[in-house]
Amino acid sequence: MAVSISTSTIPSLNSGCSNRLAAPSSSSSSLQFPLRVPQVRIGTTGVCSPSRPRVLLVKAAKQTFSSFDDLLANTDKPVLVDFYATWCGPCQFMAPVLSEVSARLKDKIQVVKIDTEKYPSIADKYRIEALPTFIMFKDGEPYDRFEGALTADQLIQRIENSLKVKQ
Amino acid sequence: MTLQAQASSSSFAVGIPSFTSPLGGSRHRLVVRAKVEPSDKSVEIMRKFSEQYARKSGTYFCVDKGVTSVVIKGLADHKDSLGAPLCPCRHYDDKPAEAGQGFWNCPCVPMRERKECHCMLFLTPDNDFAGKEQTISLEEIRESTANM
Repeated sequence: MAVSISTSTIPSLNSGCSNRLAAPSSSSSSLQFPLRVPQVRIGTTGVCSPSRPRVLLVKAAKQTFSSFDDLLANTDKPVLVDFYATWCGPCQFMAPVLSEVSARLKDKIQVVKIDTEKYPSIADKYRIEALPTFIMFKDGEPYDRFEGALTADQLIQRIENSLKVKQ
Repeated sequence: MTLQAQASSSSFAVGIPSFTSPLGGSRHRLVVRAKVEPSDKSVEIMRKFSEQYARKSGTYFCVDKGVTSVVIKGLADHKDSLGAPLCPCRHYDDKPAEAGQGFWNCPCVPMRERKECHCMLFLTPDNDFAGKEQTISLEEIRESTANM
C-alpha cells in the first residue's frame, strides 16, 4: 500500500549531529567539526516551493545522512539525483524546475542534489562529466541517466517513462 | 530569474569561531559563504569575451539571462583560480591539468568545431532556449546573480 514518505520513515539524523547543521548560528556546530565520519550534507528539494512557510522549507527539505549510500539505502521511493555545480548556468536554471517537479511528483520520487565540487568522490564514482547530470536510482542502483537542462514538463515526462519501464 | 541559494553550501566550508558565546550575548553575525565571488576584473573580461564570441559565431544568449550570467561568473572564477576559463559546466578529476590541456577552456573544442555549448552560453538560433541578444551588461550579471 502506498505509504507517504514523511521524514520520520527515513533515519534522518545521524547520531549526535542532528539539526545543528540546519542552524548556522549555533555555536555547538563549531565544536564538532571536523567529524570522524565524513558527513554528507545533501539538500533535498522536497517542498521548496517559495510560497511555503520557511519552517516547512527547512524541516522537510534538509536531511543529513552519514553517506550518500545511506541515503539511497534508506529511501524506499526511487531517487532522482541532480549532480550540479555552483557556477553551472543550466544547473541553476534547474533549481526551480526541480522544486516544481519534486512537489508534483512527491509521492513518486525523492529529489536529491549533490554539489559535485563539495562531494567530488561521489561524482567520480558515478563518472559524472557534463553538468547537470541526472541519475534515477531505484533500490540503490542507478537505472536511468540523462544530462542537460529541461523544462518541468519534459523532466516529469522523462521520470514517468523511466518509472513505467522499471515496473 | 530567481536563483535559489543552496543552504547546504554554507554548512561545511567555514567554521564558526569557537569563542562565540553559546548564550548568544556577543554572537556576531557572520556572513557564511562557502564560495568566493570571482573578481570584477575577470567577470568583465569574460563578459566582453562572451559578447564578442557570440557575434563572431552567430550564436545568441539564453532567453534567461540568469543562465548566461552564472556561466560568465563561472568562467571568471576559473580564470581567477586556474588562470584559464575552464568550462564551469563539467566535473573534472584534476582541474589544473584540464586547464593546462585546454580542450575544455572556453571556447571549448566542441563549441569551436560544432557550435555545441552545453553551458547554454552560446546558443544557435534554432535552439529552444536561444534568445535574440548577443549582449549582456554588467548590471544584468549583477542583478541575476545577486541572490546566489
